[in-house]
Parts: sequence; C-alpha cells; structure tokens
Amino acid sequence: MTGGAEMATGDDWKSAWQPMVDAVGREFDHQPVVFCADRIESSAVRRYLEPLEFDCALHDDREVARAHGYDDIVVPTSALPTFAFAPMWRPGEQIFTSAQRDAQPAANAVTGIRTGLEPPTTGYFATNYDVEYLRSATVGDRLARRGARLLACVPKETKVGRGAFLTWESEIVNEQLEVVARLQTTFFRYNPHTAS
Amino acid sequence: MNAAQRHWDEVEEDEPLTPVAFPLTVYRLVMAAGANRDFNAIHHNADYARATGAPDMYANTLLLQGMWERAVRDFIGLAGVIRRQSGFQMRAFNCPGDTVVVKGRVERKWRQGDAAFVELAVWSENASGISVGPGRVVATMPSRQTLVASDEPVPSGRT
Repeated sequence: MTGGAEMATGDDWKSAWQPMVDAVGREFDHQPVVFCADRIESSAVRRYLEPLEFDCALHDDREVARAHGYDDIVVPTSALPTFAFAPMWRPGEQIFTSAQRDAQPAANAVTGIRTGLEPPTTGYFATNYDVEYLRSATVGDRLARRGARLLACVPKETKVGRGAFLTWESEIVNEQLEVVARLQTTFFRYNPHTAS
Repeated sequence: MNAAQRHWDEVEEDEPLTPVAFPLTVYRLVMAAGANRDFNAIHHNADYARATGAPDMYANTLLLQGMWERAVRDFIGLAGVIRRQSGFQMRAFNCPGDTVVVKGRVERKWRQGDAAFVELAVWSENASGISVGPGRVVATMPSRQTLVASDEPVPSGRT
C-alpha cells in the first residue's frame, strides 16, 4: 500500500478534498510527451488476446489486417492504454526493495495521476472509462499518453471507504502526435474503512 | 468469432448481441495482468485486495473492456470499426469463482454521409447482477447500399 502521511479523519475528510475540487478544469500535465518504451510488437498484441480468448484475425493476422485497409496487425481498442503505459522498470532502477510478502514496487505505471493537492489515500481503482477512438494503432506504432485535465472531483463515502471520484481527460497519441484516442477516466481514490 | 461479415443493412434495432461468457479464475486474472500490464495488486493478490475493502482480487478494467470489445467485434465483424465507448461504469467487483457474461443489443442505427453507424447497448453481468455498465459502443459497419450506390467498397477498417 502507498501513503503513510497523516490521513483526514472525522468530518474533515470531505474538506480535505477541497483543493482538488477547486482545481477542476486545470491541466496538470506540463511535461513533454514521453513515448512508451517499445514499439508495439505482434507478440504483445497476441498475448493481450490470450486471457480474453479473443479470436479476431485483425489482431493476429497481418494479411487479413491489410486486406481490411490497415498497415499491419491492429491493436484492439481496449488495449490502447496498455501500449501507452510507461515501463515498469528502466535500466539502472531498483523497484523491488523489500521482501515483505505484499510490498509494492517503488514505481508503478498504473498508479494514475497525483497532483500533490489530494489528501493521502491508500487505495484506488478505475471506475469509469469513456473513450473516443479517432484512428487505429497497429504493430510498429509507438504510443504516448498526453494530458491530464481534471474534469471532476466528487468526494464520496462508498462501501469500501472514504475518498473521491476523480475524472481525468487525456489523449493517446502516436509518433506523429496524431490523436489515436481521447479518454475520460474516473478513479476512486480512497482510504479503506479498515484503515480510516 | 463469426466468419461471415454482417452488413449494416441487415442489422435490426433491439436485436441482441450474442452473449459471451468469461469464467474468472485466479489464473485468468494473473494472465490478464501480465498481458495488459495493469499490475495493481488488487487484480492478482487476494490478501492485498481484501485490505482495500474488496471481497477478493478482481478483474481490471482493461480486461473488462476487452470483454466488451470481443462481444462487439463478434457482432460488427472484421470490417466494422469501433468509434466510441461510453458509460463503461464499474458497478460491482468481478472476482474469481464468478462468471462474467457480456450482453448487449442494438439501440439504434443511422447513416451519416457515407458511413453507416450502429449504437450498441453493452453490459456485463455476474452473479450479483449487472457489474459493468450498461454503456454504449458506437461502431461503423459496411453497408450494401453504399456498395450498390457507389460501386466501390466502403472504406473499412481505417479510422
């Protein structure tokens, strides 16, 4: 689990999210676009299909994909975020620093956006995805995630804990900086009832 | 998936999508985390997930979106193009020992210029009821009308 700073308690927990509520509409990504570590490979696409038992020739047969107007094997639309994730590890880094059974790596590509304005939380998960797909991505492409505009912050207590639903707007772009997909993603960041 | 390509002209509003069942096991969730790179421990570590208030480890959103895509792709065929997904909302945890069944139906169909659109209502069900959605997926499909009218294939695939 992450966190460790003092958590909001009692009736303070909602007001602790006020800086985020006040930041709605603000863009938090001011960094240059950083592309995913790897070009998309057919083996990675094929492995994406396996747990889904997703039998679609667009995603595993180059000739079929070309016959349907694509340059190469097509990335499933649902896999676009996968191929825009930052690497879990880079040469020179040490991310596994503890042998404790449930210790988490020092870096994680899927922790979502942190602004420094939100109160400390230990749990999070994605709750909503709205996506507009503007162009395809194929094997050989490199993708990046761009932008982090906060669209909503709604403090709420749910059955798992107290926290806030945070909705972010971002884009997935290719190497030509063409927008492949426009995403609105909502995360619930919270402190579990057992810990709050 | 179905080998025969369906055409927009043959699609009827209120027509159901073929349900697709996904039995969930620890094995499958671990495979999914490796494949879609969402290694958040809530998706592969039961103890960790329970400490966050969940009943068990649970399927990540990429896996669940992939389930929707497979069901939609089965319907629109290789020449269909997925344009938009909305209303993908997690309503309940999807845990090992349960089976997620993706269902859907055609909400509406329309033409815009040369493109032929369908809007599909899609949702996931597990033992507790609807666990994801209901949401909407908008896609284009090839149309026989366009083939006849222009004598040229509808640009398919390329978005």
